Amino acid sequence: MSSERIPDDVERTVQTKTRDARLGSGVDDRFNSRLRQAVGSSPFILTKFDKFMNWVRGSSMFMLQFGIACCSLEMIHALMIKHDVDRFGAGVPRASPRQADLIIVPGTIVSKFAPRMKRVYDQMPEPKFVVGMGSCTISGGPFQEGYNVVKGAEEVIPVDIHVPGCPPRPEALIYGIAKLQERVANGESSPVVVKPYELEQFGDLHRDEVIDQLADRIDEDSLAMRYNWGDSP
Amino acid sequence: MSTLEHAPEGAVEVDPDEVVDRLGDRVIGRDEHVNAPAVIIRPDEVVDTLTVMRDEFGFDLLSCVTAEQFPDRYESIYHLKQYADPTTEFSIVVPTDRDHPQSQSAASVYETANWHEREAYDLIGIEYQDHPDLKRILLPDTWTGHPLTDDYNQDKPQVVAYEAHENPLLDHTEGAESDTILLNMGPHHPATHGVLHLKVTLDGEQVADVEPDIGYLHRCEEQMCQQGTYRHQIMPYPDRWDYASAGLINEWAYARAAEDLAEIEVPEYAQVIRTMGAELSRMAAHFLALGTFVLDVYGEFNALSMYAIRDREKVQKILEDLTGQRLMFNYLRLGGVAWDIPEPREEFFENVKKFTDEELPASMDEVHDLLTDNEIFQLRCVGTGVLEREVAKQYGAGGPVARASGIDTDLRRDDPYGIYDQLDWEVITDDAGDVYSRVLVRVREVEQSAKIVRQCVDLLEDWPEDEREIQSNVPRTLKPDPDRRVYRAVEGAKGELGIYIRADGTDKPGRFKIRSPCFCNLSTLPEMAEGEFIPDLIASLGSIDIILGEVDR
Amino acid sequence: MGLPVTPLETVLLPERIVDALGLEGYGVLGEFVAGLLAAFLVANIMLIMTAVAGPWAKRKIRARFTDAIAVNRVGPFGLLIIVADAVRLLSKEIIIPEGVDRPAWELAPIIVALSALLGFAVIPMGSGIHVADPEVGAVFVFAVASLSSVGLVMGGYASNNKYSMLGGLRAVAQNIAYEIPLILIAVSVVVFAGTLRMSEIVAVQAEPLILVAGIAIPSWFAIVNPFAFFLFLIANLAEVGRNPFDTPEAPNEIIAGYQTEYSGVYFVLFYLGEFIHIFLGGAIIATFFLGGPAGPVLPGFVWFLIKIWAIFLLTQWARSAVPRVRIDQLLDIGWKGLLVLSFLNLILTALIVGVIAA
Ligand code: SF4
Repeated sequence: MSSERIPDDVERTVQTKTRDARLGSGVDDRFNSRLRQAVGSSPFILTKFDKFMNWVRGSSMFMLQFGIACCSLEMIHALMIKHDVDRFGAGVPRASPRQADLIIVPGTIVSKFAPRMKRVYDQMPEPKFVVGMGSCTISGGPFQEGYNVVKGAEEVIPVDIHVPGCPPRPEALIYGIAKLQERVANGESSPVVVKPYELEQFGDLHRDEVIDQLADRIDEDSLAMRYNWGDSP
Repeated sequence: MSTLEHAPEGAVEVDPDEVVDRLGDRVIGRDEHVNAPAVIIRPDEVVDTLTVMRDEFGFDLLSCVTAEQFPDRYESIYHLKQYADPTTEFSIVVPTDRDHPQSQSAASVYETANWHEREAYDLIGIEYQDHPDLKRILLPDTWTGHPLTDDYNQDKPQVVAYEAHENPLLDHTEGAESDTILLNMGPHHPATHGVLHLKVTLDGEQVADVEPDIGYLHRCEEQMCQQGTYRHQIMPYPDRWDYASAGLINEWAYARAAEDLAEIEVPEYAQVIRTMGAELSRMAAHFLALGTFVLDVYGEFNALSMYAIRDREKVQKILEDLTGQRLMFNYLRLGGVAWDIPEPREEFFENVKKFTDEELPASMDEVHDLLTDNEIFQLRCVGTGVLEREVAKQYGAGGPVARASGIDTDLRRDDPYGIYDQLDWEVITDDAGDVYSRVLVRVREVEQSAKIVRQCVDLLEDWPEDEREIQSNVPRTLKPDPDRRVYRAVEGAKGELGIYIRADGTDKPGRFKIRSPCFCNLSTLPEMAEGEFIPDLIASLGSIDIILGEVDR
Repeated sequence: MGLPVTPLETVLLPERIVDALGLEGYGVLGEFVAGLLAAFLVANIMLIMTAVAGPWAKRKIRARFTDAIAVNRVGPFGLLIIVADAVRLLSKEIIIPEGVDRPAWELAPIIVALSALLGFAVIPMGSGIHVADPEVGAVFVFAVASLSSVGLVMGGYASNNKYSMLGGLRAVAQNIAYEIPLILIAVSVVVFAGTLRMSEIVAVQAEPLILVAGIAIPSWFAIVNPFAFFLFLIANLAEVGRNPFDTPEAPNEIIAGYQTEYSGVYFVLFYLGEFIHIFLGGAIIATFFLGGPAGPVLPGFVWFLIKIWAIFLLTQWARSAVPRVRIDQLLDIGWKGLLVLSFLNLILTALIVGVIAA
């Protein structure tokens, strides 16, 4: 299929523009306590307090019970006997995103699912962490060339740690989680490097052929996610 | 050798000439596929033709509907089979016009055609007339274009809407006494085992209507396979269809179809290894089914689900020794397997024997103790989520789901491949068709699989050293003759896993279609769950044992 | 009844505090302060216990039942996870979803946690820890314990989420169905003891029943009437919502039931409420059937803790080994099974007590 790509000039300009826009920068401030933000400087006691909070966040995490594809099987194995990620305090799965700190994205994300995943991510309370599991969440993995596959989880939500593999062994996932905990405990967080796809109101989307085609089917203010496939990394 | 004595009951002998005579002028041509005779019929005669085939020639199973696009036409192929004897096959080919691909829908004859035709419409774009609900099934409703056609531009942006769903029964109940609410279950819900979305309409706690909405894991498997070369590039993908460790069975499905297509012989020794591997895979898959089902009924992290996963770990360990991978094996090759049993062989066989002879019986006792003999469990599962035999046939159900509904079908016995026909084992069936019997069938199938593995180990142990041929000679690039078509199936962990390949003279398939058992089994869910309570819906779903990677492909 | 009643603890905790701190001179105010202090003490004991149970013991026990290990990296035996979990949960962002019914939504978790804590006021915990001992202690404890269902339905309904609503409704249906048998069984105990005062119920059980090899077997109601004890255990499982009766928050069916939409502190309160409820259930069982804080050698309070932890262990055991029943079956069991049996039990008890008295 890929050999038959039809060049489309209008498309290209839109895509380059969004690509620029997607290169965000800056470290997010989720590790800063309110107290520190209010005080602004870093007196001794606050530093200690922050340290303590980082330790707390790094030591215990509730994870979201979130299975997508093949990788979720190895995730199940990581949770169960033998591997038992609960040893690290990260093995309590919560079914509701409101009570989870950690979301492991275990698998291929396709176009139909991405908006839903974004919504689940948004429903989690801060501070929240994301572990991308498997090559599918890095780049689309074996399915990268698929017409329907989002090329990596980072296209949709910011990812803190990527665990490569197809699927990564449970040990690898546990290593990834432990690494994440280490980083959190050290107060580091990953800078957001790509601006993910957002859910936007349909009426706000850049109008082009595709949008025109759909205009009579989708409500102006219902949310929609637009994929610029040609522009994927 | 109980399997050899089995004479298919109720199977009907079919002579292609007779069929053509009976169909009369509906037929516009004849063809021969590798697996079955085919007739080409007019697109406005689909219903009549299929009715005749079903009622007069005994084809009670519509295995698969394949849609294809050619430079000058579209084609839908209906692969017909008989439950009693799956080797009696027939293909009905329906060509349609390239500019207006319209064809009559078969959904009124076979219930299972409903979803299959929706898929064909979604990916290829053939419009089925009189289809009860022709809309996209795998791709989002707002998708533009049909991706498996040759003029589809993959770089085109797409928009996916995130909208609230309407209550489908709203009109029925407006103003009425009882009120219904629509409950969206999934795509992220702990009981859907992945990313399935159920639109459940509730009347109190009772399920008034349920509609599975799939496609949240549609990973373009067919496209991927069409882009890969037969010899090397396709084999990794089957592992990712039914990813519950049933990888080797899936690989075998592809291998079987491709070997028939390219006429490749497989050495006997490799067949034994394949059989053993496939049964190990089946055990691992059934353990997972058991573990997750128990999660649904017991609640999170109970002892039994842990034990199931523990046993699964053991099987995975053996499979890892054999193939080098825990989950995505990529072990079969066209014409054989990738490598021999790992050295030292004795140690490997010891491990397998220890598992099948000592550990498995013990844990099976545990399962029966904690699960199948448990009164509360029986209270929950006996008599709920019933799938009647005839309904199951209509939907093309397969595997444990069909066998629990009293359909005595198993491709390993009825359409033997590998060395299944030389081994001593049984097909497990049950008549009740409820959640309990589906679970029970699966548990007992594990025992049968262990039996098969054990016999394979015995065979392999005594195999003379100089005859251990693991692969036959296969040309470096495979280019099957153009227009050879084959549909071949194996008994997957969930049912009939079929592959249709059309060769186009190159080293890549012209069309690669996967008939997924989970896809058909899942479509029976409304039949099981309507009128039951939410927990029964969950239990039914768990007992169907779906793997979304295979449903959506 | 003719049974001599000698209350074990005649001196309640507030009075002791008054004594110890020399608050006699302050009259009502002094008593009030002492009462507050006593309540504070008891509440803290319970909070500490739930803190141990929730993030740590529950996981460890579950791990034992399932051959796993559970937390062992954070501090010795993973004990520091308690601090980490508690602080983390408290520091999480509180998301207030769109469309919730604000006051009710925020009150609900508080009610749930509070109602369970209130119950401990009248429980004699041995070693002099007993906050209040009203005439109608038994009635009070059941009354406040069942208050929690109000909280559950409030939370479920106010959340504006269908799963929450289902969970809330299930919780109410279940609590009503099991509250009545629970109370009926308790009434049979009260008939036996001839009093509603908790301390006296405990005292009655201290009487030796029979002598076996020189050891006096006390007349704990669990021994006197094992049938009632068994029924009460089952009804209690349903009351605290644990397997096989954990339908209100069955995660695989309705996400987390009534607490689906709660995060941060509110979630902690729900969680806390749940565990305190389990302990309250244990405390009621201990008081009504297991002789309260009575036991040899060790101080009474320790025995009391052992007993309620035993009940906690039982609920966790059920959780890891028993399937959950369906909501309609649950109601069936409640209304058609337990209710009938508990009536039977009550009538029999009444007859027996009548005969003895005569
Ligand atoms: S990375 Fe591999 S194993 Fe994981 S979801 Fe993707 S294809 Fe499956």
